[in-house]
Amino acid sequence: MPLIQIHDVSVRYTSPVLSGIDIEIEEGEFVCVLGQTGCGKSTLLRLILGSEKPASGRILVDGIEHHQPDRTRGYVPQKYSLFPDKTVLDNITFGPEVSEFNLFGRCTPRFYRRRRELRAQAFDYLRRIGLRAEDARKYPDQLSGGMQQRVAIAQALITRPQILLMDEAFSALDPGTRRDMQQLIRDLWQATGTTILFVTHNTREALRLGTRVIVLARESAGQGSRVMLDLPVPEPCHEHEIPRLIDRLETVQAVA
Amino acid sequence: MSFALIHAKPGRTWSTLLSWTLFAAGIAAYFYVSQARHRANPEDRVMPTVTQMVRGMYAAAMQPAEDDEQQVSGKFFSSMLWKDTKATSRRFFYSMILLFPAVLLGLHMGLFPYAGAFFLRFVLFFDKIVALSLLPILFIAFGIDELAKVMLIVIGVTPTIILDTFNLTRGVPAEQTVKAFTLGAGDFDVAYRVVLKQIAPRVLNSIRLNLKAVMLFLFAGEMIASTDGLAYRIALLRRHMGMDVIIPYVLWVALLLFLVDYGMRLLNRMLHPWFRES
Ligand SMILES: Nc1ncnc2c1ncn2[C@@H]1O[C@H](COP(=O)(O)OP(=O)(O)OP(=O)(O)O)[C@@H](O)[C@H]1O
Ligand SMILES: [Mg+2]
Repeated sequence: MPLIQIHDVSVRYTSPVLSGIDIEIEEGEFVCVLGQTGCGKSTLLRLILGSEKPASGRILVDGIEHHQPDRTRGYVPQKYSLFPDKTVLDNITFGPEVSEFNLFGRCTPRFYRRRRELRAQAFDYLRRIGLRAEDARKYPDQLSGGMQQRVAIAQALITRPQILLMDEAFSALDPGTRRDMQQLIRDLWQATGTTILFVTHNTREALRLGTRVIVLARESAGQGSRVMLDLPVPEPCHEHEIPRLIDRLETVQAVA
Repeated sequence: MSFALIHAKPGRTWSTLLSWTLFAAGIAAYFYVSQARHRANPEDRVMPTVTQMVRGMYAAAMQPAEDDEQQVSGKFFSSMLWKDTKATSRRFFYSMILLFPAVLLGLHMGLFPYAGAFFLRFVLFFDKIVALSLLPILFIAFGIDELAKVMLIVIGVTPTIILDTFNLTRGVPAEQTVKAFTLGAGDFDVAYRVVLKQIAPRVLNSIRLNLKAVMLFLFAGEMIASTDGLAYRIALLRRHMGMDVIIPYVLWVALLLFLVDYGMRLLNRMLHPWFRES
Protein backbone atom coordinates (compact mmCIF):
# COMPACT_ATOMS: atom_id res chain seq x y z
CA MET A 1 0.00 0.00 0.00
CA PRO A 2 1.35 3.47 -0.86
CA LEU A 3 2.37 5.55 2.14
CA ILE A 4 0.50 8.65 0.99
CA GLN A 5 -2.71 8.31 -1.01
CA ILE A 6 -4.39 11.40 -2.37
CA HIS A 7 -7.71 10.55 -4.01
CA ASP A 8 -9.57 13.02 -6.18
CA VAL A 9 -8.88 15.95 -3.87
CA SER A 10 -10.28 19.42 -4.52
CA VAL A 11 -9.74 22.63 -2.58
CA ARG A 12 -11.29 26.00 -3.12
CA TYR A 13 -11.01 29.28 -1.29
CA THR A 14 -12.59 32.14 -3.16
CA SER A 15 -11.78 30.36 -6.39
CA PRO A 16 -10.75 26.75 -7.05
CA VAL A 17 -7.15 26.05 -6.11
CA LEU A 18 -6.78 22.32 -6.57
CA SER A 19 -9.18 20.10 -8.47
CA GLY A 20 -9.17 16.35 -8.90
CA ILE A 21 -5.69 15.68 -7.57
CA ASP A 22 -4.67 12.02 -7.54
CA ILE A 23 -1.23 11.15 -6.24
CA GLU A 24 0.17 8.03 -4.65
CA ILE A 25 3.55 8.12 -2.98
CA GLU A 26 5.46 5.04 -1.91
CA GLU A 27 7.60 4.82 1.16
CA GLY A 28 11.14 6.10 0.64
CA GLU A 29 10.39 8.23 -2.42
CA PHE A 30 11.79 11.71 -2.85
CA VAL A 31 9.04 13.61 -4.63
CA CYS A 32 9.56 17.14 -5.86
CA VAL A 33 6.50 19.26 -6.54
CA LEU A 34 6.86 21.97 -9.16
CA GLY A 35 4.43 24.65 -10.17
CA GLN A 36 4.00 28.35 -10.70
CA THR A 37 3.38 30.62 -7.78
CA GLY A 38 -0.15 30.41 -6.43
CA CYS A 39 -0.87 27.04 -8.01
CA GLY A 40 -1.48 25.39 -4.65
CA LYS A 41 1.79 23.68 -3.76
CA SER A 42 1.77 24.85 -0.16
CA THR A 43 -1.91 23.98 0.03
CA LEU A 44 -1.09 20.43 -1.01
CA LEU A 45 1.42 20.15 1.83
CA ARG A 46 -1.09 21.55 4.33
CA LEU A 47 -3.58 18.91 3.19
CA ILE A 48 -1.10 16.13 3.86
CA LEU A 49 -0.26 17.69 7.23
CA GLY A 50 -3.93 17.71 8.11
CA SER A 51 -3.97 21.39 9.02
CA GLU A 52 -6.40 21.97 6.17
CA LYS A 53 -9.37 19.95 4.92
CA PRO A 54 -10.14 19.31 1.26
CA ALA A 55 -13.52 20.34 -0.09
CA SER A 56 -13.84 16.84 -1.50
CA GLY A 57 -11.69 13.74 -1.77
CA ARG A 58 -9.61 11.83 0.73
CA ILE A 59 -6.02 11.91 1.92
CA LEU A 60 -4.68 8.80 3.59
CA VAL A 61 -1.30 8.61 5.24
CA ASP A 62 -0.36 5.06 6.16
CA GLY A 63 -4.00 4.17 5.52
CA ILE A 64 -5.38 6.70 8.00
CA GLU A 65 -7.10 10.00 7.47
CA HIS A 66 -5.51 12.65 9.72
CA HIS A 67 -7.35 15.73 10.93
CA GLN A 68 -4.46 17.37 12.70
CA PRO A 69 -0.71 17.59 12.15
CA ASP A 70 1.30 15.17 14.25
CA ARG A 71 4.83 13.90 14.55
CA THR A 72 4.61 11.30 11.80
CA ARG A 73 4.81 14.13 9.26
CA GLY A 74 7.68 16.56 9.74
CA TYR A 75 7.39 20.01 8.24
CA VAL A 76 9.80 22.69 7.12
CA PRO A 77 7.54 25.61 6.19
CA GLN A 78 8.23 28.29 3.63
CA LYS A 79 8.66 30.89 6.40
CA TYR A 80 8.34 31.27 10.18
CA SER A 81 9.91 27.89 10.62
CA LEU A 82 11.84 28.50 13.84
CA PHE A 83 10.51 29.53 17.23
CA PRO A 84 11.89 33.06 17.71
CA ASP A 85 11.90 32.80 21.50
CA LYS A 86 14.16 29.76 21.65
CA THR A 87 17.86 29.43 20.99
CA VAL A 88 19.09 27.28 18.13
CA LEU A 89 19.77 24.47 20.58
CA ASP A 90 16.34 24.69 22.17
CA ASN A 91 14.73 24.87 18.76
CA ILE A 92 16.38 21.61 17.78
CA THR A 93 15.63 19.78 21.02
CA PHE A 94 12.08 21.12 21.20
CA GLY A 95 10.57 18.14 19.39
CA PRO A 96 11.91 15.32 21.57
CA GLU A 97 11.49 17.40 24.74
CA VAL A 98 7.89 18.24 24.08
CA SER A 99 6.88 14.77 23.04
CA GLU A 100 8.60 13.02 25.95
CA PHE A 101 7.75 15.44 28.76
CA ASN A 102 4.54 17.28 29.48
CA LEU A 103 4.44 20.66 31.23
CA PHE A 104 4.91 19.05 34.65
CA GLY A 105 7.38 16.42 33.57
CA ARG A 106 9.84 19.22 33.06
CA CYS A 107 10.27 19.63 36.79
CA THR A 108 11.70 16.15 37.34
CA PRO A 109 15.42 15.29 37.49
CA ARG A 110 14.86 12.75 34.72
CA PHE A 111 14.04 15.63 32.40
CA TYR A 112 17.40 17.27 33.01
CA ARG A 113 19.28 14.03 32.46
CA ARG A 114 17.42 13.46 29.22
CA ARG A 115 17.97 17.03 28.15
CA ARG A 116 21.70 16.58 28.44
CA GLU A 117 21.49 13.62 26.08
CA LEU A 118 19.29 15.54 23.69
CA ARG A 119 21.66 18.47 23.66
CA ALA A 120 24.56 16.22 22.81
CA GLN A 121 22.46 14.83 19.99
CA ALA A 122 21.55 18.34 18.87
CA PHE A 123 25.23 19.32 18.73
CA ASP A 124 25.78 16.30 16.53
CA TYR A 125 23.06 17.54 14.17
CA LEU A 126 24.52 21.04 14.26
CA ARG A 127 27.81 19.66 13.09
CA ARG A 128 26.14 17.68 10.33
CA ILE A 129 24.28 20.69 8.97
CA GLY A 130 27.47 22.69 9.08
CA LEU A 131 26.88 25.08 11.96
CA ARG A 132 29.44 25.86 14.62
CA ALA A 133 28.95 25.00 18.25
CA GLU A 134 28.89 28.67 19.23
CA ASP A 135 25.82 29.20 17.04
CA ALA A 136 23.88 26.97 19.39
CA ARG A 137 23.28 29.80 21.86
CA LYS A 138 22.04 32.25 19.25
CA TYR A 139 18.45 33.19 18.63
CA PRO A 140 16.98 32.62 15.15
CA ASP A 141 17.03 36.29 14.19
CA GLN A 142 20.77 36.38 14.81
CA LEU A 143 21.28 33.79 12.07
CA SER A 144 21.41 34.28 8.32
CA GLY A 145 18.58 32.91 6.20
CA GLY A 146 20.61 29.88 5.14
CA MET A 147 21.55 29.01 8.70
CA GLN A 148 17.93 29.34 9.77
CA GLN A 149 16.88 26.89 7.05
CA ARG A 150 19.54 24.43 8.17
CA VAL A 151 18.38 24.63 11.76
CA ALA A 152 14.77 24.15 10.65
CA ILE A 153 15.79 20.98 8.83
CA ALA A 154 17.69 19.66 11.86
CA GLN A 155 14.70 20.50 14.05
CA ALA A 156 12.39 18.48 11.82
CA LEU A 157 14.80 15.56 11.39
CA ILE A 158 15.66 14.98 15.03
CA THR A 159 12.17 13.61 15.71
CA ARG A 160 12.69 11.07 12.88
CA PRO A 161 9.40 11.62 11.06
CA GLN A 162 8.18 9.03 8.62
CA ILE A 163 7.47 11.74 6.08
CA LEU A 164 9.19 15.08 5.67
CA LEU A 165 7.35 17.92 3.93
CA MET A 166 9.54 20.80 2.78
CA ASP A 167 8.13 23.99 1.34
CA GLU A 168 10.58 25.95 -0.78
CA ALA A 169 13.15 25.29 1.86
CA PHE A 170 16.07 26.58 -0.19
CA SER A 171 14.53 29.36 -2.22
CA ALA A 172 16.07 32.14 -0.12
CA LEU A 173 19.61 30.79 -0.42
CA ASP A 174 22.46 31.79 -2.67
CA PRO A 175 23.48 29.24 -5.33
CA GLY A 176 26.49 27.97 -3.39
CA THR A 177 24.67 27.41 -0.13
CA ARG A 178 21.79 26.00 -2.07
CA ARG A 179 23.99 23.34 -3.61
CA ASP A 180 25.41 22.42 -0.21
CA MET A 181 21.94 22.14 1.23
CA GLN A 182 20.76 20.00 -1.66
CA GLN A 183 23.66 17.65 -1.08
CA LEU A 184 22.90 17.63 2.63
CA ILE A 185 19.23 16.79 2.23
CA ARG A 186 20.00 14.16 -0.38
CA ASP A 187 22.53 12.53 1.98
CA LEU A 188 20.12 12.66 4.88
CA TRP A 189 17.43 11.12 2.71
CA GLN A 190 19.74 8.30 1.72
CA ALA A 191 20.86 7.74 5.30
CA THR A 192 17.41 7.79 6.92
CA GLY A 193 15.08 6.52 4.20
CA THR A 194 12.55 9.20 5.09
CA THR A 195 9.88 9.83 2.48
CA ILE A 196 10.30 13.41 1.33
CA LEU A 197 7.91 15.75 -0.43
CA PHE A 198 9.83 18.77 -1.60
CA VAL A 199 8.10 21.84 -3.02
CA THR A 200 10.18 24.11 -5.21
CA HIS A 201 10.05 26.66 -8.01
CA ASN A 202 13.32 25.55 -9.42
CA THR A 203 13.14 22.91 -12.13
CA ARG A 204 16.83 22.10 -12.01
CA GLU A 205 16.68 21.65 -8.25
CA ALA A 206 13.71 19.30 -8.61
CA LEU A 207 15.61 17.14 -11.08
CA ARG A 208 18.74 17.11 -9.00
CA LEU A 209 16.95 16.08 -5.82
CA GLY A 210 13.92 14.03 -6.62
CA THR A 211 13.31 10.48 -7.65
CA ARG A 212 10.08 11.76 -9.09
CA VAL A 213 8.81 15.16 -10.15
CA ILE A 214 5.17 16.22 -10.07
CA VAL A 215 4.02 19.35 -11.87
CA LEU A 216 0.89 21.17 -10.77
CA ALA A 217 -0.69 23.68 -13.14
CA ARG A 218 -4.02 25.11 -14.18
CA GLU A 219 -5.44 24.16 -17.54
CA SER A 220 -7.07 27.54 -17.85
CA ALA A 221 -7.55 30.56 -15.63
CA GLY A 222 -10.37 30.16 -13.11
CA GLN A 223 -9.84 26.42 -12.82
CA GLY A 224 -8.08 24.54 -10.06
CA SER A 225 -4.63 23.09 -10.58
CA ARG A 226 -4.26 19.48 -11.65
CA VAL A 227 -1.34 17.10 -11.85
CA MET A 228 -0.07 17.94 -15.33
CA LEU A 229 2.94 15.70 -15.30
CA ASP A 230 4.17 12.95 -13.05
CA LEU A 231 7.67 12.07 -14.10
CA PRO A 232 10.07 9.54 -12.64
CA VAL A 233 13.57 10.96 -12.70
CA PRO A 234 16.03 8.52 -14.25
CA GLU A 235 18.64 7.52 -11.71
CA PRO A 236 21.38 8.50 -12.24
CA CYS A 237 20.17 11.46 -14.26
CA HIS A 238 22.70 12.10 -17.03
CA GLU A 239 23.77 15.68 -17.57
CA HIS A 240 22.81 15.58 -21.25
CA GLU A 241 19.25 14.57 -20.38
CA ILE A 242 18.70 17.49 -18.02
CA PRO A 243 18.04 20.24 -20.61
CA ARG A 244 15.43 18.09 -22.33
CA LEU A 245 13.70 17.30 -19.02
CA ILE A 246 13.80 20.91 -17.91
CA ASP A 247 12.31 21.95 -21.21
CA ARG A 248 9.54 19.41 -20.85
CA LEU A 249 8.79 20.34 -17.24
CA GLU A 250 8.74 24.04 -17.96
CA THR A 251 6.51 23.77 -20.99
CA VAL A 252 3.96 21.91 -18.93
CA GLN A 253 3.99 24.50 -16.16
CA ALA A 254 3.34 27.30 -18.58
CA VAL A 255 0.11 25.95 -20.07
CA ALA A 256 -2.33 28.23 -18.34
CA MET B 1 22.79 75.03 10.47
CA SER B 2 21.42 71.53 10.49
CA PHE B 3 18.91 71.78 13.33
CA ALA B 4 15.86 71.12 11.20
CA LEU B 5 17.21 68.24 9.20
CA ILE B 6 16.05 64.64 9.41
CA HIS B 7 19.64 63.51 9.13
CA ALA B 8 20.90 65.77 11.88
CA LYS B 9 22.93 63.94 14.51
CA PRO B 10 22.83 65.82 17.81
CA GLY B 11 25.74 64.92 20.07
CA ARG B 12 25.35 63.34 23.47
CA THR B 13 25.58 66.57 25.43
CA TRP B 14 23.14 68.32 23.17
CA SER B 15 20.61 65.48 23.42
CA THR B 16 20.78 65.44 27.20
CA LEU B 17 20.55 69.18 27.41
CA LEU B 18 17.61 69.36 25.05
CA SER B 19 15.73 66.57 26.81
CA TRP B 20 15.83 68.46 30.13
CA THR B 21 15.06 71.91 28.75
CA LEU B 22 11.29 71.65 29.03
CA PHE B 23 11.52 70.40 32.59
CA ALA B 24 13.69 73.35 33.53
CA ALA B 25 11.46 75.79 31.69
CA GLY B 26 8.34 74.39 33.36
CA ILE B 27 9.83 74.64 36.83
CA ALA B 28 11.19 78.12 36.22
CA ALA B 29 7.90 79.37 34.84
CA TYR B 30 6.03 77.95 37.80
CA PHE B 31 8.23 79.63 40.36
CA TYR B 32 8.27 82.90 38.52
CA VAL B 33 4.47 83.04 38.40
CA SER B 34 4.15 81.78 41.95
CA GLN B 35 6.54 84.44 43.29
CA ALA B 36 4.67 87.10 41.39
CA ARG B 37 1.35 85.97 42.83
CA HIS B 38 2.76 85.92 46.33
CA ARG B 39 4.10 89.43 45.96
CA ALA B 40 0.62 90.57 44.96
CA ASN B 41 -1.15 88.52 47.60
CA PRO B 42 0.89 86.92 50.41
CA GLU B 43 -2.12 84.74 51.30
CA ASP B 44 -2.24 83.11 47.85
CA ARG B 45 -3.02 79.39 48.08
CA VAL B 46 -3.28 78.44 44.42
CA MET B 47 0.40 78.38 43.62
CA PRO B 48 2.42 77.61 46.75
CA THR B 49 6.07 78.58 46.84
CA VAL B 50 8.93 76.11 47.14
CA THR B 51 9.25 76.67 50.85
CA GLN B 52 5.57 76.02 51.33
CA MET B 53 5.70 72.83 49.29
CA VAL B 54 8.80 71.59 51.06
CA ARG B 55 7.21 72.30 54.40
CA GLY B 56 3.95 70.61 53.33
CA MET B 57 5.76 67.58 51.98
CA TYR B 58 7.95 67.37 55.03
CA ALA B 59 4.84 67.24 57.18
CA ALA B 60 3.32 64.59 54.92
CA ALA B 61 6.37 62.40 54.73
CA MET B 62 8.17 62.85 58.01
CA GLN B 63 5.50 63.38 60.65
CA PRO B 64 3.17 60.69 61.94
CA ALA B 65 -0.31 60.81 60.46
CA GLU B 66 -2.81 62.61 62.75
CA ASP B 67 -4.94 59.54 63.31
CA ASP B 68 -1.95 57.52 64.39
CA GLU B 69 -1.46 57.38 68.11
CA GLN B 70 1.07 54.57 68.27
CA GLN B 71 4.66 54.97 69.23
CA VAL B 72 6.61 56.39 66.33
CA SER B 73 9.22 53.88 65.22
CA GLY B 74 10.51 55.18 61.93
CA LYS B 75 9.30 58.60 61.04
CA PHE B 76 8.69 57.91 57.39
CA PHE B 77 6.93 54.61 57.94
CA SER B 78 4.23 56.10 60.08
CA SER B 79 3.70 59.11 57.90
CA MET B 80 0.68 60.03 55.84
CA LEU B 81 2.56 59.72 52.57
CA TRP B 82 3.76 56.23 53.34
CA LYS B 83 0.32 55.05 54.43
CA ASP B 84 -1.33 56.45 51.35
CA THR B 85 1.29 55.00 49.07
CA LYS B 86 0.94 51.63 50.75
CA ALA B 87 -2.83 51.59 50.41
CA THR B 88 -2.73 52.57 46.76
CA SER B 89 0.07 50.14 45.96
CA ARG B 90 -1.86 47.31 47.55
CA ARG B 91 -4.87 47.94 45.31
CA PHE B 92 -2.61 48.36 42.32
CA PHE B 93 -0.93 45.06 43.09
CA TYR B 94 -4.22 43.19 43.39
CA SER B 95 -5.40 44.52 40.08
CA MET B 96 -2.11 43.52 38.45
CA ILE B 97 -2.58 39.99 39.72
CA LEU B 98 -6.09 39.98 38.30
CA LEU B 99 -4.71 40.83 34.86
CA PHE B 100 -2.97 37.46 34.75
CA PRO B 101 -6.15 35.39 34.24
CA ALA B 102 -7.15 37.93 31.61
CA VAL B 103 -4.00 37.11 29.63
CA LEU B 104 -4.70 33.39 29.90
CA LEU B 105 -8.30 33.89 28.82
CA GLY B 106 -7.22 35.88 25.78
CA LEU B 107 -4.69 33.20 24.88
CA HIS B 108 -7.25 30.43 25.06
CA MET B 109 -9.81 32.45 23.13
CA GLY B 110 -7.30 32.98 20.37
CA LEU B 111 -6.20 29.37 20.16
CA PHE B 112 -9.23 27.26 20.94
CA PRO B 113 -12.11 28.00 18.57
CA TYR B 114 -14.77 26.88 21.04
CA ALA B 115 -13.42 29.17 23.75
CA GLY B 116 -13.29 31.97 21.20
CA ALA B 117 -16.87 31.40 20.11
CA PHE B 118 -18.00 31.29 23.72
CA PHE B 119 -16.30 34.43 25.02
CA LEU B 120 -15.45 36.77 22.17
CA ARG B 121 -18.79 38.44 21.56
CA PHE B 122 -19.35 38.95 25.26
CA VAL B 123 -15.90 40.42 25.87
CA LEU B 124 -16.30 42.73 22.89
CA PHE B 125 -19.53 44.01 24.38
CA PHE B 126 -18.09 44.15 27.88
CA ASP B 127 -15.23 46.22 26.53
CA LYS B 128 -17.66 48.91 25.41
CA ILE B 129 -19.17 49.40 28.86
CA VAL B 130 -17.89 52.66 30.26
CA ALA B 131 -16.42 51.43 33.50
CA LEU B 132 -16.84 54.73 35.31
CA SER B 133 -20.56 54.69 34.63
CA LEU B 134 -20.71 51.47 36.60
CA LEU B 135 -19.21 53.10 39.64
CA PRO B 136 -22.48 53.70 41.52
CA ILE B 137 -23.64 50.16 40.73
CA LEU B 138 -20.38 48.73 41.97
CA PHE B 139 -20.54 50.65 45.21
CA ILE B 140 -24.10 49.49 45.76
CA ALA B 141 -23.32 45.90 44.84
CA PHE B 142 -19.96 45.42 46.53
CA GLY B 143 -20.08 48.10 49.20
CA ILE B 144 -17.46 50.81 49.39
CA ASP B 145 -14.63 48.57 50.49
CA GLU B 146 -11.66 47.24 48.56
CA LEU B 147 -13.62 44.82 46.43
CA ALA B 148 -15.57 47.54 44.66
CA LYS B 149 -12.39 49.39 43.74
CA VAL B 150 -10.61 46.32 42.49
CA MET B 151 -13.72 45.33 40.52
CA LEU B 152 -13.73 48.73 38.90
CA ILE B 153 -10.22 48.16 37.62
CA VAL B 154 -11.09 44.66 36.50
CA ILE B 155 -14.06 45.89 34.53
CA GLY B 156 -12.16 48.83 33.14
CA VAL B 157 -8.94 47.18 32.08
CA THR B 158 -9.30 43.42 31.68
CA PRO B 159 -11.38 43.51 28.48
CA THR B 160 -8.62 45.49 26.80
CA ILE B 161 -5.99 43.04 27.99
CA ILE B 162 -8.10 40.05 26.98
CA LEU B 163 -8.68 41.43 23.50
CA ASP B 164 -5.08 42.48 23.11
CA THR B 165 -3.84 39.02 24.05
CA PHE B 166 -6.45 37.51 21.77
CA ASN B 167 -5.22 39.57 18.83
CA LEU B 168 -1.58 38.85 19.60
CA THR B 169 -2.38 35.13 19.76
CA ARG B 170 -4.14 35.32 16.42
CA GLY B 171 -1.12 37.11 15.02
CA VAL B 172 1.19 34.17 15.63
CA PRO B 173 1.74 32.60 12.19
CA ALA B 174 -0.14 29.34 11.64
CA GLU B 175 3.15 27.79 10.53
CA GLN B 176 4.38 27.99 14.10
CA THR B 177 1.54 26.00 15.60
CA VAL B 178 1.55 23.50 12.74
CA LYS B 179 5.27 23.09 13.16
CA ALA B 180 4.90 22.51 16.88
CA PHE B 181 2.29 19.83 16.29
CA THR B 182 4.53 18.07 13.77
CA LEU B 183 7.26 18.04 16.42
CA GLY B 184 4.95 16.17 18.76
CA ALA B 185 3.50 18.99 20.87
CA GLY B 186 0.00 18.66 22.31
CA ASP B 187 -2.58 21.44 22.45
CA PHE B 188 -1.40 22.79 25.79
CA ASP B 189 2.25 22.56 24.81
CA VAL B 190 1.39 24.68 21.82
CA ALA B 191 -0.53 27.15 23.98
CA TYR B 192 2.01 27.58 26.76
CA ARG B 193 5.34 26.58 25.32
CA VAL B 194 5.03 28.05 21.87
CA VAL B 195 2.38 30.75 21.63
CA LEU B 196 2.39 32.22 25.14
CA LYS B 197 6.17 32.40 25.22
CA GLN B 198 6.19 34.15 21.90
CA ILE B 199 3.60 36.77 22.74
CA ALA B 200 4.73 37.28 26.34
CA PRO B 201 6.91 40.35 25.67
CA ARG B 202 4.16 41.98 23.65
CA VAL B 203 1.60 41.19 26.32
CA LEU B 204 3.85 42.76 28.92
CA ASN B 205 4.16 45.83 26.72
CA SER B 206 0.42 46.01 26.36
CA ILE B 207 0.07 45.85 30.14
CA ARG B 208 2.62 48.63 30.41
CA LEU B 209 0.57 50.77 28.06
CA ASN B 210 -2.50 50.06 30.16
CA LEU B 211 -0.87 51.08 33.44
CA LYS B 212 -2.35 54.51 33.03
CA ALA B 213 -5.85 53.11 32.67
CA VAL B 214 -5.32 50.99 35.77
CA MET B 215 -4.28 54.07 37.72
CA LEU B 216 -7.15 56.09 36.31
CA PHE B 217 -9.77 53.65 37.55
CA LEU B 218 -7.96 53.16 40.82
CA PHE B 219 -7.90 56.91 41.42
CA ALA B 220 -11.53 57.30 40.50
CA GLY B 221 -12.44 54.64 43.03
CA GLU B 222 -10.25 56.13 45.73
CA MET B 223 -11.44 59.66 45.20
CA ILE B 224 -15.07 58.71 45.48
CA ALA B 225 -15.11 56.09 48.18
CA SER B 226 -12.09 55.49 50.31
CA THR B 227 -10.51 56.36 53.62
CA ASP B 228 -6.92 56.16 52.51
CA GLY B 229 -4.80 56.13 49.38
CA LEU B 230 -3.01 58.76 47.35
CA ALA B 231 -6.08 59.82 45.40
CA TYR B 232 -8.17 59.97 48.55
CA ARG B 233 -5.62 62.40 50.02
CA ILE B 234 -5.60 64.55 46.92
CA ALA B 235 -9.39 64.72 46.93
CA LEU B 236 -9.43 65.49 50.64
CA LEU B 237 -6.83 68.24 50.43
CA ARG B 238 -8.73 69.84 47.59
CA ARG B 239 -11.42 70.81 50.09
CA HIS B 240 -9.06 73.09 51.95
CA MET B 241 -7.01 74.04 48.91
CA GLY B 242 -3.95 72.21 50.19
CA MET B 243 -2.01 72.85 47.01
CA ASP B 244 1.29 72.72 48.89
CA VAL B 245 0.75 68.98 49.30
CA ILE B 246 -1.37 68.23 46.24
CA ILE B 247 1.29 69.27 43.76
CA PRO B 248 4.05 67.14 45.35
CA TYR B 249 1.58 64.25 45.59
CA VAL B 250 0.78 64.45 41.90
CA LEU B 251 4.47 64.44 41.06
CA TRP B 252 5.06 61.56 43.46
CA VAL B 253 2.37 59.50 41.71
CA ALA B 254 3.90 60.26 38.33
CA LEU B 255 7.31 59.24 39.62
CA LEU B 256 6.00 55.97 41.04
CA LEU B 257 4.24 55.10 37.82
CA PHE B 258 7.34 55.95 35.85
CA LEU B 259 9.39 53.63 38.04
CA VAL B 260 6.89 50.78 37.68
CA ASP B 261 6.93 51.23 33.92
CA TYR B 262 10.70 51.35 33.84
CA GLY B 263 10.92 48.26 36.02
CA MET B 264 8.60 46.38 33.69
CA ARG B 265 10.68 47.40 30.72
CA LEU B 266 13.84 46.10 32.37
CA LEU B 267 12.04 42.92 33.36
CA ASN B 268 10.85 42.46 29.81
CA ARG B 269 14.33 42.85 28.44
CA MET B 270 15.72 40.46 31.02
CA LEU B 271 13.08 37.77 30.52
CA HIS B 272 12.97 37.98 26.75
CA PRO B 273 16.45 38.69 25.43
CA TRP B 274 15.38 37.48 22.00
CA PHE B 275 12.72 40.13 21.61
CA ARG B 276 13.38 43.04 19.28
CA GLU B 277 10.92 45.86 19.48
CA SER B 278 9.89 46.77 15.96
N1 LIG C 1 -6.15 30.88 3.69
C1 LIG C 1 -6.41 31.22 2.41
N2 LIG C 1 -7.52 31.91 2.09
C2 LIG C 1 -7.80 32.26 0.82
N3 LIG C 1 -7.03 31.94 -0.21
C3 LIG C 1 -5.90 31.25 0.03
C4 LIG C 1 -5.53 30.86 1.35
N4 LIG C 1 -4.36 30.19 1.28
C5 LIG C 1 -4.03 30.16 -0.01
N5 LIG C 1 -4.93 30.80 -0.77
C6 LIG C 1 -4.90 30.93 -2.23
O1 LIG C 1 -4.69 29.65 -2.76
C7 LIG C 1 -3.81 29.70 -3.84
C8 LIG C 1 -2.67 28.70 -3.62
O2 LIG C 1 -1.90 29.11 -2.53
P1 LIG C 1 -0.58 28.35 -2.14
O3 LIG C 1 0.01 29.06 -0.99
O4 LIG C 1 -0.86 26.91 -1.98
O5 LIG C 1 0.30 28.59 -3.44
P2 LIG C 1 1.79 28.12 -3.74
O6 LIG C 1 1.73 27.24 -4.94
O7 LIG C 1 2.41 27.56 -2.52
O8 LIG C 1 2.46 29.49 -4.14
P3 LIG C 1 3.96 29.98 -3.84
O9 LIG C 1 4.81 29.26 -4.80
O10 LIG C 1 3.91 31.44 -4.12
O11 LIG C 1 4.25 29.67 -2.42
C9 LIG C 1 -3.34 31.11 -3.98
O12 LIG C 1 -4.01 31.69 -5.07
C10 LIG C 1 -3.77 31.78 -2.70
O13 LIG C 1 -4.18 33.09 -2.97
MG1 LIG D 1 3.88 28.20 -1.19
